Amino acid sequence: MLSNSEILSVLEMLRNEHLDLRTVTLGISLLDCASDDLKRFTDKIYDRIVSKAERLVALCNAAEERYGIPVVNKRVSVSPIAVAAAPFSSDQMVSVAQALDRAAAAVQVDFIGGFSALVEKGIASGDRALIEALPQALATTRRVCASINVASTRAGINMDAILLLGRQIKAAAALTADHDGLACAKLCVFANIPQDVPFMAGAYLGVGEADAVINVGVSGPGVVKKAIDRALAENAHLDLRQISELIKRTAYKVTRAGELIGRDVAEGLGVTFGVVDLSLAPTPHVGDSVGEIFQSLGLRGIGVPGSTAALALINDAVKKGGAFASSNVGGLSGAFIPVSEDLNISAAAREGLLSIEKLEALTSVCSVGLDMVAIPGDTTAETLSGIIADEMAIGVINRKTTATRIIPVPGKKAGEYAFFGGLLGESVIMPVNNAQGENLFVRRGGLIPSPIHSLTN
Amino acid sequence: MKKFIISVLGKDRPGIIAAVTQLLFQQDFNIEDVSQTILQNEFSGIFIVTGPDGSDPQNVCHALENATVDLKLHIHVKAMDAAPFQWTSASCEPFVITTRGPDRKGLVAQITAVLAAHNVNVTQLQAVFRGGADPERNVMIYEVDIPADSDLSKLRTALKTKAAELNLEVNLQHKNIFEAINRI
Repeated sequence: MLSNSEILSVLEMLRNEHLDLRTVTLGISLLDCASDDLKRFTDKIYDRIVSKAERLVALCNAAEERYGIPVVNKRVSVSPIAVAAAPFSSDQMVSVAQALDRAAAAVQVDFIGGFSALVEKGIASGDRALIEALPQALATTRRVCASINVASTRAGINMDAILLLGRQIKAAAALTADHDGLACAKLCVFANIPQDVPFMAGAYLGVGEADAVINVGVSGPGVVKKAIDRALAENAHLDLRQISELIKRTAYKVTRAGELIGRDVAEGLGVTFGVVDLSLAPTPHVGDSVGEIFQSLGLRGIGVPGSTAALALINDAVKKGGAFASSNVGGLSGAFIPVSEDLNISAAAREGLLSIEKLEALTSVCSVGLDMVAIPGDTTAETLSGIIADEMAIGVINRKTTATRIIPVPGKKAGEYAFFGGLLGESVIMPVNNAQGENLFVRRGGLIPSPIHSLTN
Repeated sequence: MKKFIISVLGKDRPGIIAAVTQLLFQQDFNIEDVSQTILQNEFSGIFIVTGPDGSDPQNVCHALENATVDLKLHIHVKAMDAAPFQWTSASCEPFVITTRGPDRKGLVAQITAVLAAHNVNVTQLQAVFRGGADPERNVMIYEVDIPADSDLSKLRTALKTKAAELNLEVNLQHKNIFEAINRI
């Protein structure tokens, strides 16, 4: 028999705290669709995705109804296209992206991830074709998301790839200038990319994974914030150890809900259940914000001194709660701080509390990195590459995942606004400091070697 | 052995269960199941017991009344069928229905009428009405068994429609979600 308080606390999480399952992502392997004939390949991947995922949305809707918890996004991730479609040219890669887009539309998912390449140590011909295809592929599709892993703790940092990507990001922004460079919002550049992330734009199905896998992304920044607010209302003198314990317990609850629903959907589809990625992922709505948690903890806003310590506390407590709740915790699992997707973080940027440099510092203790950051359109490709390289270095040296999703907004300057719409939100354009002059460092190319694993300090 | 069900009602105070079970013990009865609850100082207990073949409900009831005369209890004893009664042959799944909203007469009657019409069985009901318009003070929680052959979405639609008429917010959720979130 359930107790009243158990039932009422769950209802409260649903009614007022935005508890939801942020995404159920079906990973589908395309590796056995390989062919050097473009039509044959695109037909095969289209058929594979549609046959595997055709019941995904219906099953998610049924689970949503059964448990009364919204499943906000249903998505598909596929094997890295640079591997699956290795024989093709960059023009042909664009056609592959368009086939993925059609398949995603056919199964009614809002995003499909996996237009991806893994180039941390070197760029193969398929990788190069995919990277060259990025601007056109992202500008001519709606649902396709791309990710490029350019660095890893084991391999080092591929500066050739980073230089190339700086240019491709500029080109992608230019092709979607009418929409503030929207194509760049669908491209993540990673260090240490996990194989099982369910969240976009970084989702792809790793080559070490099964034929089809369900990974779920649970969120719940609103639940964490309200739990802190409630506890502080009862006892205003809670210390940080007590608050950490509270976040941990809350993360446990949220993870358990995600795993239950994920397993239900996986069973319905007859595929393996992969991981729960417990990430505090905001949406551009009041009460569903990671930034608001900083304020509940007592900071004026994200970005002021103390923010990195606060984020370290949040991120660690979330991981501990998640790891206790499920043996299948994976993906990124931590806190996201995407600027445009979080009203509160976006406001902190507008008020000048948060700069790119502070964001970079924050990313050393949280999931992902410089995420959904709008910068001036006249930022050079080399400066972009420099920002990416800095972010990758943080991940490589600290043995963690980091990423960038930066949008150089064509024709707009720092202080102006960029609008991406929907979940991607809107943001003030943040200034990039110290960006004048040439950047010979990023032009040198080559590989920054992998770091030593002793003498840590 | 014969099987009986005994219900006991009365003002709550120390000693009710002690007096009832002492008599049962003396008369060689074995308690199989017992459940008790208290609502606003009123005690209510249900005992399922087995006892000697010669015993009959009336005698048991008289003996219990005599043994608890100071406690002023209302006692009822009934013989039970040996074979368990099954209200459905379908397998059932446990769900939880919750409502919140301003108090008025007939809320339980109208919600349970919908449940009865859809062959849904209530296994636990906790309703707290403290009056007024504050929804937090007027909550009903029904734990129910829904047969696998029921149409869940029809039930949900019927509940939502009825709840809207009554100005209530209603939720129908599988019990697993509450257990997953709250229990290790």
